[in-house]
Amino acid sequence: MVTVFPLQEWLKSLEEKLNSDVRYNEIAKNWEGDLVFEILPEGNLKEPLTMYLDLWHGKCRGVEYAPDLSGRSKPTFILRSPYNNFTAILQGKLDPMTAMMTSKLKVEGSLGYMMRNVPTVLDFVRCCREITTNIA
Amino acid sequence: MQPILKIDLTTGKTEEYKIPEEWERAFLGGASLAARLLYPALTKELDPFSPESPLMFINGPLTGTSGPTVGRFAVCGKGPATGLWAESHCGGFWGPELRFAGYDGLWITGKAEAPVYLWIEDGRFEVRPAAQLWGKDTYETQELIKQEIGQKGIHVACVGPAAENGILFAGIYCDHGRTAGRTGLGAVMASKNLKAIAVHGMNKPPLVHADLYAGSRSESNRTLKQDNEARILHELGTAGVANYAEYLGSMPAKYYHQGGFEMVDKVSGSNMVDTILVGQSACHACVIACGRVVKLEDGNKRKGPEYETIVSFGPNLLIDDLVEITRLGELCDRYGMDTISAGNTIGLVFHLFELGKINLQDTGGLELKWGDAVAVRQLVRMTARREGIGEWIAQGSRRLGKHFGAEEEAVQVNGLEVACHDPRGVSGMALSYATSPRGACHNQSDYFFVDFGHTYPELGIEYFSRQADAEKSANVAKHQDWRTVYNAMVMCIFGNVAPQLQVDLINAACGYDWTIEEMMKCGERGWNMKRAVNNRMGLTAGNDKLPKALLEPLTTGGTEGYVPDIQGMLYTYYEARSWDEKTGYPTKEKLSTLGLDDVAKDLWGETMDD
Repeated sequence: MVTVFPLQEWLKSLEEKLNSDVRYNEIAKNWEGDLVFEILPEGNLKEPLTMYLDLWHGKCRGVEYAPDLSGRSKPTFILRSPYNNFTAILQGKLDPMTAMMTSKLKVEGSLGYMMRNVPTVLDFVRCCREITTNIA
Repeated sequence: MQPILKIDLTTGKTEEYKIPEEWERAFLGGASLAARLLYPALTKELDPFSPESPLMFINGPLTGTSGPTVGRFAVCGKGPATGLWAESHCGGFWGPELRFAGYDGLWITGKAEAPVYLWIEDGRFEVRPAAQLWGKDTYETQELIKQEIGQKGIHVACVGPAAENGILFAGIYCDHGRTAGRTGLGAVMASKNLKAIAVHGMNKPPLVHADLYAGSRSESNRTLKQDNEARILHELGTAGVANYAEYLGSMPAKYYHQGGFEMVDKVSGSNMVDTILVGQSACHACVIACGRVVKLEDGNKRKGPEYETIVSFGPNLLIDDLVEITRLGELCDRYGMDTISAGNTIGLVFHLFELGKINLQDTGGLELKWGDAVAVRQLVRMTARREGIGEWIAQGSRRLGKHFGAEEEAVQVNGLEVACHDPRGVSGMALSYATSPRGACHNQSDYFFVDFGHTYPELGIEYFSRQADAEKSANVAKHQDWRTVYNAMVMCIFGNVAPQLQVDLINAACGYDWTIEEMMKCGERGWNMKRAVNNRMGLTAGNDKLPKALLEPLTTGGTEGYVPDIQGMLYTYYEARSWDEKTGYPTKEKLSTLGLDDVAKDLWGETMDD
């Protein structure tokens, strides 16, 4: 199966992966917080793109591709960065913790929560990488 | 910069010393400038506790301004545990206050007949008796002096009983737990019968281009507030990185012999937030505020421990109780002893007890079981009083190890205990420790941040794998040069300011027109100056090494069995530095290109003219 980031199918594959991956289910069992990727235009991405993931206790309760977030309660985390940084993370060229600590990945929400859940953050990224076969 | 006040405590004579302009420009200030100024006095024969031994408190050109993380000062001299160059940096408010009082440094020699403290206010200077303060802890001393002087706005730097008792890792303390903890300069201060220095002033810090400075300062602080690292430090304190460090294997456990620490969550900055934290504290004008204020069951607010104290008294000793660690840190602060060296050396005692090289007779019947905080507290008290095995702990890990026939087990470099960043997890720290001018130090180059991925392309500091070897040596050298600029400014390493902005701040404050390259050259000059000071005191290439424990693989945890190739790293490091591999000296050519011809002549003798 071909899953190309940042297409809608990629997000759907990620949802399935997060719900079926036993390792992630265990490591992230205490995680509570929905998450938004705000991908800023750069390189092959010409328009801003938003992806929403509802992550809860090791499962993904739902995803939304390019949702309209206006009028909704603010998600627990917003991760904002130019497109090439997201793709670098997915390709293993940029460590996600490094991206956060060096502000390449802007974080809205508690950095403290991220720092205390390093294994969950890294395993989430592992899942993202494993489903990515191509980058647009 | 403003004058340095020279004080001879034997004679009571004082003199205002104007820093030569060319040295100020060449070395900027802080520890680099101190190395230049103290070079003639620091000899191999000099006893650090002799009256002749100099002790220098020194500011940087930005100290006391509202610039980013520049409320700091440095203390320099000869280290009693290392016999080498000693420098220690301290936050709080004391350095700025000294500047407001009209001085950018104190150059202290001699020995008072009886305990004294100094009182400096707006260019006035007084020596006051301090016999009544001798024996008081560092917190009590500060309060008593403030009461005696009876004015608002006074800041006091002082020593505690540990320094009075000659403990080789006694520090200098101010502003309720801010410490110049490393290298034992508190003991040097106490050896002069100098208990404390109180300062107060009303002057504005001198800035050549105040308007330009204001713009760069605002921009620096604005970006710093948004920086993720700074946010982590504010939200979680320096222990905010504990989980990540543990994950990478860079956080030592069980005296560097265990890979990983399962209970890391319990000692993390996050857990502190959830349990005992009630506020943050900041040094002068700092927008980060990494300091912790915690409340324990007695209801009193107190300083919370930072990463180094947490790891030294936590995972290093297999203690996972933040409250106990907080108490141990406070005990050390009150006695006035460095928590890194204290925790590390006590770790060695536990380790040797486990190996059977220390027994119950040696410990006075104290059973040493890893994780036993009560036993650790007892050892801290015995150390402060130099009782029983405390007599040996008080002398640091190298001497303790030697006494018990196991010097090679001590995790130290040149007599200074290794800090809490294991080079098996972040290999750049191997060179940082092996080549640091003051022994195993993490503040001369906190290269672990680069190994975490923090690069600085403007400075040519690129990313190499966190467990790369010789290929990263030149990168480490550049990072050391850059941090030497920080230590000259005197600026906190958490002030993550873009290099161009850093240059702009220097230029505006000093009236220079430096480029980034010139700033880095200043750092390189400072680094080589300190090296030359050490060479003069007997340091050679043979001193550049790591302790045995850090060269043994760990079978568990994030290091994944890696050990740094320190010999390979040193080979390329010497190349990058243009240091002579036989002697360990900077080459004549290198010293000459840095404008240090007189130093080259001194080190290399007549061959200079060959």
